[in-house]
Amino acid sequence: MSDLAIELFGVSKRFGPKVAVDNVSLQVPLGVVYGLIGPNGAGKTTTFSMMCGYLYPSDGTVKVMDVDPTTPGALKGRLGALPQDAILPPGWDVGALLMYWARLSGLDNPEREARAALEKVGLLEAWKVQTQALSHGMAKRAAMAQALMGTPPLVLLDEPTAGLDPRIAAQVRQVIRDMKGKQTVVVSSHNLQELEELCDAAAILDKGALAQAGSMSELTGQDAEFRVQIARGTVIPPELTTMPDVTDARMEGEHVLVVRFSAKALPEEVISRVVGHLLGHGVLILGVSRGQRLEDRVLQLL
Amino acid sequence: MDKSARVPHTVDGLKETVVIWGAELRRAVRSGRAMVLLGLYSMFSALVLLVVGWLASEVRAAVNARLAEAGAGGEEASARIAEEMRKGVLGFLTSNDTAMIEALAQVPVEVLLVFKITLFFLPAYVALMGFDQLSGEVGPRSIRYLTVRARRSSVLLGKFLSQASMLLGLVLIIDLAVFIYARIANPDFGFAAMSLNLLKFWLAAIVFSLSYVALTTLCSALFRAPAVSLVFNFIMLFVFWLMDTVGRAVGEESVLHFLRYLSPSYYAGNLLHPGLAQFGASGAAYAAFATLFIMCAYVTLRARDL
Repeated sequence: MSDLAIELFGVSKRFGPKVAVDNVSLQVPLGVVYGLIGPNGAGKTTTFSMMCGYLYPSDGTVKVMDVDPTTPGALKGRLGALPQDAILPPGWDVGALLMYWARLSGLDNPEREARAALEKVGLLEAWKVQTQALSHGMAKRAAMAQALMGTPPLVLLDEPTAGLDPRIAAQVRQVIRDMKGKQTVVVSSHNLQELEELCDAAAILDKGALAQAGSMSELTGQDAEFRVQIARGTVIPPELTTMPDVTDARMEGEHVLVVRFSAKALPEEVISRVVGHLLGHGVLILGVSRGQRLEDRVLQLL
Repeated sequence: MDKSARVPHTVDGLKETVVIWGAELRRAVRSGRAMVLLGLYSMFSALVLLVVGWLASEVRAAVNARLAEAGAGGEEASARIAEEMRKGVLGFLTSNDTAMIEALAQVPVEVLLVFKITLFFLPAYVALMGFDQLSGEVGPRSIRYLTVRARRSSVLLGKFLSQASMLLGLVLIIDLAVFIYARIANPDFGFAAMSLNLLKFWLAAIVFSLSYVALTTLCSALFRAPAVSLVFNFIMLFVFWLMDTVGRAVGEESVLHFLRYLSPSYYAGNLLHPGLAQFGASGAAYAAFATLFIMCAYVTLRARDL
């Protein structure tokens, strides 16, 4: 058993002449919360669907928990998935449907599992409600609940908070946070702030190709740069680049100084040195922030 | 997969099939569609029964009137002619197979006619019942919730079995109603004969219709849109009917006469045959069609993106 939950190697998916995913390779380690980032049409949902075994890759190999996800029965009980645009089947009470699916997953106590999962997403009151009578947000939560039943080691969530009101979205984020360290979670979302907050690592996709993948600190440059917001005073960037471990310094607009430093250096030491230097030269500082926001990084890449 | 892993794999697959079968059957029974289909089938059978009954009584009255005109009236002559007519109809329905005529001697002719006519329309009824069993889940992608926890083969078999079970129940209800009517209308039709023939007719209808349930499963697996599945299913039924009709109409010397062997309906003739070999051959043909359709449905579902 490897320490990878998911491994994609040279994966492509074509729908006729359209290439939805183009030669993507990425690895998701066990136990992390991993984000799939990208604009509409970037190939997130297609990649997600190949991980779940819904779609066959046109080229390349997909391994999920060490097996090919399209192998019949291979991921049973090991994968919980929230597909983005799958409609809940009509004609079922939510509770009965979840019990049916829990039974199908081979869970020991289907009713207990179904109730516990619905409670996690705050939807226990919908136990007797017919699926076709659920609002969009409720249906989304019911679908999320089915992915959580049985506490599978790998949970794939495609746009889990899309269309939810802020209170429920926060509740769903908390559910994901609670899974951190216990289960591997892959989250696909447009909400970059949410992903930055939740994820340990992420892959950025654009037009079907992998733009960048890595840990969140790598993606946001937390271990390679920081920003200093200047209130008053004159900054001379060339002076800063002569300091140990500083590789680059430049002004971003009138009041923001961006400093890049060597990956080998300890961030706290470099930041302290630079801030000390600035204060020593009469520069007044409003704040310091490490790296850049994920949103800025993504906008820079795409 | 090695041998030791294959056994639990198969057992797990069977368990999944049973769970899906039970759940889908419960949903189908509770749904309004089951009641609508039962109503439609009952109304159709009742209509056929009424028309056949009315025609038979009209013919009987006309014959009696002619006999009276010719001065050959009397119950004995009337009964003899009625028996000859009955034999004629039986001969027509059984292709003059003496063994079958003997075996069906006790069955009221109305029941036979209703059986034959409803059997002709049963495939259309089956199509209406199950055209969306898979396409109705693939189109809106709800099948994705199933395939992360069950094999595609289990989903297919579970759906097929739930459709087959529902049909089994509906056909039994209708056959029971027709036989009870026949028993009331024909006092000579004893309880033992009624029970035995009810079982035979029900079994024949089930053997016949299972291949069509499998065909409907195949049509449903081929498309994402339920409406397209339904239209394609009806096209297939028409093509099979055409093959059987053309195959029967052309002479033995024509190559086209082989077409009838490719149509399931060709094998319906011997489903009520008392000879085990004849019934077995028909049953085997239907089992082969059902297996072929199910295998094709599985290959389609297994290969497709969901």
